[in-house]
Amino acid sequence: MLKSEKKSLIRFLLIYLSSTFFLFALAGFMFYNYEKEHLLDKQKDILSHKAQKIKTEIRALHNTFDEDLTYPSYPSWKSAIYDLDKHYIMGTFKEKKSIGEADSFTEGNRLFHIGSVEPHYLGAAYLLVTQEIDTVPMWELKKSIYIFMILAGIIFSILGIFLGRLFIEPMRDSMEKMNRFIEDTTHELNMPISTILNNIEILESSDDFVKREELNRIEIASKTLSRIYDDLTYLNFNHKYHRNIKHVNVSKFLQERLVYFSAMAEVKRLKVNVEIEDDTYLDIDKNDLIRVIDNLISNAIKYNVVGGSIEISLSEKSLKVSDTGVGISKQDIDLISQRFKRANQSEGGFGIGLDIVNQVVNYYGYVLDIRSKFEEGTTMEIRWEN
Amino acid sequence: MGKLILPLLLLVTGLTATTIDDENILQKECLRCHKAQQIPDDLIYRRYLMVYSTSNRMEKAIFSYMKNPDKKNSVMHHPFFFKFPMKEKLDLNDKVLKKMIKKYLLTFDVKNKFTTLP
Repeated sequence: MLKSEKKSLIRFLLIYLSSTFFLFALAGFMFYNYEKEHLLDKQKDILSHKAQKIKTEIRALHNTFDEDLTYPSYPSWKSAIYDLDKHYIMGTFKEKKSIGEADSFTEGNRLFHIGSVEPHYLGAAYLLVTQEIDTVPMWELKKSIYIFMILAGIIFSILGIFLGRLFIEPMRDSMEKMNRFIEDTTHELNMPISTILNNIEILESSDDFVKREELNRIEIASKTLSRIYDDLTYLNFNHKYHRNIKHVNVSKFLQERLVYFSAMAEVKRLKVNVEIEDDTYLDIDKNDLIRVIDNLISNAIKYNVVGGSIEISLSEKSLKVSDTGVGISKQDIDLISQRFKRANQSEGGFGIGLDIVNQVVNYYGYVLDIRSKFEEGTTMEIRWEN
Repeated sequence: MGKLILPLLLLVTGLTATTIDDENILQKECLRCHKAQQIPDDLIYRRYLMVYSTSNRMEKAIFSYMKNPDKKNSVMHHPFFFKFPMKEKLDLNDKVLKKMIKKYLLTFDVKNKFTTLP
């Protein structure tokens, strides 16, 4: 599975599963509260029966004329009687408890029930009965909801993966088609470009050869095409590409590439100032290094003005390429590393160069610093050591 | 010191005398007759308590009955009056009557009789 496919699938699953979880959690919460009320109502009914029992005992007490009236008490629940003005008469509470208007309520972990006493035996108009809430059924209910949520989560995850793959399939087909097209095209391009460049070299090496301006232009155009071909190949195979990281002499490589681009710079009559520290080494894949150097130099040439200058400096800590070209507006600097983004819409090119530079820089953990002033010039600096 | 003890002594003596007076009047004006006629005070008290629930409400109901003794103004069942004659109107003034009713209710108050099992 491609990186982008994986990313899309993960995003889809995240949205799908989080929204499903949210809906289930909401439904579970509502269901729990509804069922909890139902369970509490059952306990209230039991409490109401207990209240009836106490009422009967109070009635019996009312009809006895003994000197001592023993108020009914039970270890698991408490009760109290109140007169018509809701003043406490007697009860088994440690402290006198006042009552309000509600006929049943919860306080902490206790359930309270207030029933009326009619007629008012022993002056009691209200009877308050309380017991600890039996939380076991609530826990059982919670447990059932959690188990249901976990099972639903598993089922919906599987369903989500299946749906995600189903939705991604057309996109994958299109991408595969496009990749195949690019692969085929680049492969087809390679042969004529190589032929042109090889023949120019043969022509240049012959003794009676006089280099003409037209041929020079053909060489530059062919090299540009060759570089575009390399960029496309790099981007297309990047995800499958195995990097062969070696201790590479960057100074030597940079000098070689400068020779390669010299013809292009000459056409624009650019003054190239080079300051290269000898034997600067980096642990890097050669192909990555070529792509970075080529793109930085070719951009500096491409976006420069005729007769401008290029400053190239290499030290142990960084590679810096500055030009006196068109520059980049402030808002474009943030977007410039994006694929196919071109800083100057009027110039040619694929705009994939900076994307490649950015990819390489990110891979090796380097820092890409772009400083530019519109219509004054741009400096691109890659730092590998702070 | 003597100045403080004397008024206190007078106050305590006065209060005790008042309580004894109230008790005497209750006995003389109410309970003596009740005893003679074997009127069940506990039963009457419980009946009023069952209907009116609070002392204030009972006080008002008994006062109203005392001022106008009539079957309609009583909470007792009609057969009660077959056994016990309708009482005659008292010639006590309202203040004393109210005081006696309070004393009567306090004598039979059930709140003092309640106990709970440990």
